[in-house]
Amino acid sequence: MLFKIAMKNLLGAKLRTWLNVFVTAISFFMIIFISAMYDGMREHAMQVSINTEIAGGAYWHPEYDPLDPMTFEDAHSVPPDAVRALVDQKKAIPVLVSQASIYPNGRIMPVIMKGINPEQNIVNMPTQMLANNDAVTIPVLIGQGMANDAKLKVGDSFTIRWLDAERTYDADEGIVVHIMDTENFKLDKGHIWVPLEKAQTMLAMEGEATYVTYAEGLSIVENKGDWVPRDVKYLIRDMEALIKADEPNAAIMYIILLALAAMGIFNAQVLSIFRRGKEIGTLMALGMTRSRVVGLFTLEGGLNAFLAVIMTVILFGPVLWYFGAYGINLGIDYSEGQMGLIIAKRLIPVYSIGLLITTTIIVSIIVLIVSYMPSRRIARMKPTDALRGKVAV
Amino acid sequence: MANNSVVEIQNLVKRFPVGGDFFTALKNVNLILAEGEFTGLVGPSGSGKTTLLNIIGGLDSPSEGHVSVLGMALNNTSHGERARLRRKSMGFIFQSYNLLPVYSVFENVELPLILNKVDPTEREKRVNQALEWVGLSDKTDSRPAMLSGGECQRTAIARAIVHQPALILADEPTANLDAKNSHHIMKIMVRLNKELSTSFIFATHDEKIMAYLRRIIHLDDGQITEDEQIDNPKSGQ
Repeated sequence: MLFKIAMKNLLGAKLRTWLNVFVTAISFFMIIFISAMYDGMREHAMQVSINTEIAGGAYWHPEYDPLDPMTFEDAHSVPPDAVRALVDQKKAIPVLVSQASIYPNGRIMPVIMKGINPEQNIVNMPTQMLANNDAVTIPVLIGQGMANDAKLKVGDSFTIRWLDAERTYDADEGIVVHIMDTENFKLDKGHIWVPLEKAQTMLAMEGEATYVTYAEGLSIVENKGDWVPRDVKYLIRDMEALIKADEPNAAIMYIILLALAAMGIFNAQVLSIFRRGKEIGTLMALGMTRSRVVGLFTLEGGLNAFLAVIMTVILFGPVLWYFGAYGINLGIDYSEGQMGLIIAKRLIPVYSIGLLITTTIIVSIIVLIVSYMPSRRIARMKPTDALRGKVAV
Repeated sequence: MANNSVVEIQNLVKRFPVGGDFFTALKNVNLILAEGEFTGLVGPSGSGKTTLLNIIGGLDSPSEGHVSVLGMALNNTSHGERARLRRKSMGFIFQSYNLLPVYSVFENVELPLILNKVDPTEREKRVNQALEWVGLSDKTDSRPAMLSGGECQRTAIARAIVHQPALILADEPTANLDAKNSHHIMKIMVRLNKELSTSFIFATHDEKIMAYLRRIIHLDDGQITEDEQIDNPKSGQ
């Protein structure tokens, strides 16, 4: 009976119903969209990191600590045979890491110099731009952020100074052969990339490497010597820690969005219900009990939420799909990594099942609560007051 | 309780809190209304007639005294029991019609039957019958906003009689109507009273209604000042 009356009330109220439903649908949309953007940002950071830097994992020289540049001096040797075999099969790439200084435009800048095989296809970097530069003393690949910092452009030359394996300082001229546009600021900021063989010659470390990154899908080799295998899980732990540390922020954002949605829905419902004081009085006069009045309005709220879900799918579904497929151009260059997280220039929201279900359930519960509260209050009024439309908020 | 009485009131007092004090709206009211009566509570504004009507309808509760309606003592009943009494055995007609604006005429009249869980086929039959009684068979799909005042009140009457209650309470039912519509409405109610033996209690100060009443209870300052039986109403109905 209540369902029948609630449906009649909802469908009969036409514009009022659809406005309420629209407000709820917008709330659904905003929460899903913004949360999905947030999830997309974190997912993207992870993917970019794996795609451009981590691949399937790495074998590290036992002395290597990427967070401590002082270790670079000793973190190099010829990789173990089994690891070298992977390199020979083009399933892995060795990278030689060293500290260096560059002198662009008369300034001095400390950098991390990394030697990488120009022919590699394990990580998504334009290293092939380092190949076929025989006429160039040291071909250098840098990122856009580094180019901005050092005020360098393609073709510019600058002095590179380094300390080789014999602890002898040496210097030569590097020329920028390409400036890469990467979303991973860790490959960009303070980094210069040179061909591996050139780096090995410069550093007097023939055949040596600091770490070897291997392709996705490979298992860890057995004869890895004292080199330390680092799987994806280990290599993204910083990122995960960063994301975990960011979870309270994400939760706060979610709560703020929910609170905004709840306030919008509450306003719409309260206005709707308190405008209907006389109707409630009439229903009581016709013999509807207080509990049924509360039930009726709460049910109307529930149906409102249900219609809002349908409206969200029909009205905002294509919008969500479009952004999910093509992303959103943020129009801001975050390549300097000032956010401490890899931020996509084109952000693609990620709609997880968990997000969709949680949002639907939570918003529906909010709608039920904000329908229940005012109707309970109004149903407690004397029918004579309700009939006169004497509604106190 | 007297034989065939639908309302029995003894020593009724009703007080309303006003500021820190109380205003006494009804003072020591005693009244018995028999089945099939066509009665008016008549008096100036503030005399207590609407308050008395609301108490009889179980919409308000007495401060003191005993009120029994259709055999149920309202003093000792819960909200739910009073709601059930209204739903099963009472009909209400309000000055401002109180039709639900989003419902059609048919749906408004159907509402008491839905509340009484009458099955859909029976509902349709009874709603059509009630609308025929009040002459609105051609307006079933209209919304209240599309009706005249007279048509709205006829819809409200159809809603009040559709579940064939024993008692109909009407609060100033003609106050918003012109003379022609008022007489039309009253004739319908007189006919219902005669043919269905439904008891009617009006709260009114409209002379046009008084012409149809067969019993007029005069109220002034919360007290019954005169109880007038009229064998031959002026309207001749």
